[in-house]
Amino acid sequence: MSRANLYARRNRVKIKTSRFGELEVNQDDIIKFKDGILGFEQYKNFIVIDPSDSTLILWMQSLDNSQIAFPVIEPQIFKVDYCPVLMPNDMNALALENPADAKVYTILTIPSDFSQMSANLKAPIIVNSKKNNAKQVVLQDNKLVVKFEMYKDLKRAIANFSTSDDFKRTHIAPVKRFNPESESQFEEMEEIVINTSKENELD
Amino acid sequence: MLVLTRKLGESIAIDDDIKIVVVQIKGKQVRLGIKAPKDTKIHREEVYMAIQEQNQKALESTPEGLNDLAKELTSHKK
Repeated sequence: MSRANLYARRNRVKIKTSRFGELEVNQDDIIKFKDGILGFEQYKNFIVIDPSDSTLILWMQSLDNSQIAFPVIEPQIFKVDYCPVLMPNDMNALALENPADAKVYTILTIPSDFSQMSANLKAPIIVNSKKNNAKQVVLQDNKLVVKFEMYKDLKRAIANFSTSDDFKRTHIAPVKRFNPESESQFEEMEEIVINTSKENELD
Repeated sequence: MLVLTRKLGESIAIDDDIKIVVVQIKGKQVRLGIKAPKDTKIHREEVYMAIQEQNQKALESTPEGLNDLAKELTSHKK
């Protein structure tokens, strides 16, 4: 057996998954979540499985628990202008030096009525693709929601995808570094209190 | 957990650069003012609860369950 083959063998590992059976994956593709995923902090090792089907939906599969796999998708597929702003804490936690090294996934909730399918744009998964560190980051932008209904947007994107030659994905940066020179993000929070929570009004 | 009692107008300082002040008290509601560096993350706790709940719901999907979704997404009817 050639040296290249030997190396390749050593680098691969078998994993058990409840949805895809037993798979052989590359150790270099294993993504480490130091803090796990919100509500599932005990699961730190994941891998992205691409079933390569027409939905463009991927699966964030836990290596620690075969039953745990989150359907995810790259949000710029259905929302071209989605560009999470990362705080210094987030970038440090990911050891992310260059925003261009980030890869963004959003967790999907798919009910039996598909038209109600939603993506969590408020708390995307950000991966440092150079170091394979990842984190589910809660973004400060109060215009972003946990349940963004995107069935129509995804359907439109898939229709365009199959008819266009190049994919729009590369046109805007995956994430943006927070710029302290720009307006305070906290003002938006106060605005939203006044507009939406009338029953919480103190006056 | 550290529990402190504050009167209207009194503050709590966290680290050297975060301050929480009781701005208004009315009945069961307390309005809090937070002074912190621009790059500090501040959220109502419900946001974290909502995210955990949504993560839990996301796990209910299976690839087989998405076969029909694939058909709908690629069909030509709106």
